[in-house]
Amino acid sequence: MEKSIYTIFKTFFKVGTLLLGGGYVILPLLTSELVEKKKWITSDELCEYYAIGASLPGIIAANTAIFTGRKLLGTAGAIAAIVGMILPAFLAIVLLASILAELIAKPSVQHIFWGVGIGVIVLLFLAVKEMWSKSVVDKFSLAIYIGSLILALYGKVSLSLIIIGAVIAGIINQKLEVK
Amino acid sequence: MLYLQLFVQFFHVGVFSFGGGYATLPFLYDIAEKYHWYSSKQLTDMLAISSITPGPVGVNMATFAGFTTSGILGSMIATTAIILPSFIIVTIVSKLLDKFKANQSVKGAIRGLKAAGCALLSAVGIRLIFTSNLHLLGTLLLLALLISGLIKKRDPLFYLGISALFGLVVGHFNWIGA
Repeated sequence: MEKSIYTIFKTFFKVGTLLLGGGYVILPLLTSELVEKKKWITSDELCEYYAIGASLPGIIAANTAIFTGRKLLGTAGAIAAIVGMILPAFLAIVLLASILAELIAKPSVQHIFWGVGIGVIVLLFLAVKEMWSKSVVDKFSLAIYIGSLILALYGKVSLSLIIIGAVIAGIINQKLEVK
Repeated sequence: MLYLQLFVQFFHVGVFSFGGGYATLPFLYDIAEKYHWYSSKQLTDMLAISSITPGPVGVNMATFAGFTTSGILGSMIATTAIILPSFIIVTIVSKLLDKFKANQSVKGAIRGLKAAGCALLSAVGIRLIFTSNLHLLGTLLLLALLISGLIKKRDPLFYLGISALFGLVVGHFNWIGA
């Protein structure tokens, strides 16, 4: 499909609509739409945008969408992507604002929360598998992966420190390899 | 004045929340205490609601706070404010990256970043497994969908749709904790 402001907006609107479970699933959704269906970018590029987006301040889903939109069609692409992604969220909350409290009290809604939570975990792990194949490719990246995972699960350090550590280790490793 | 306050507060969240997921929460609770645009209870409700409405919880909360305090215009201002820092920061970083892409240090940094990014995503998944009260049936569905996904990956809508329906049916018969 042709890359235009409209098609980018439409694609991200679809991604935004399916962005359930609080934004975690941005990577599997973008993989499905941009890499597999539209073939606008490669899985490797998307992993890079996600990794960078996740290490910058702000909401990760938004960072990733803006980054990807920029790569697709410059500033106009970035605006089309972020507006498309945010619009479904915006409309949903504006429409639901007045009945939010009643909605949450309904047992059936609680049951759907519970169910969707499982779908979100499945999508996350399928995304991990995809990202693993693009990012954990040698001894160095495996060491970074294991170290970061242990720190993220059991360490009492902030996530930004883990990211900064991985960046520094990556730079040092590259210097050593080039020599 | 309220419009300006909404803008400043949610812009602040956009600049300082680091690490994604629920990183915005401490700031959102802080806003609840200081400005009373929403209560902590409403924020907790929103956390749950945002799992079945589109979008990250920070964006949902900004829209909600803006809407309840000052209608559509307020909700547009607050939502824009929480996203704007991302837009500025990503634009700058993306330009710098294009410029220094061939640089060895940048290449090394990205290699480290990608591996760490994959690890952080794994950590979120593992945490969710232990905090979601999956019980027996939920665990079985999780395994079934994971195995089917590893064999043949389907559209994300498939997994979300099946699991929502599963929750509705299993919950209806009170089988969740069974």
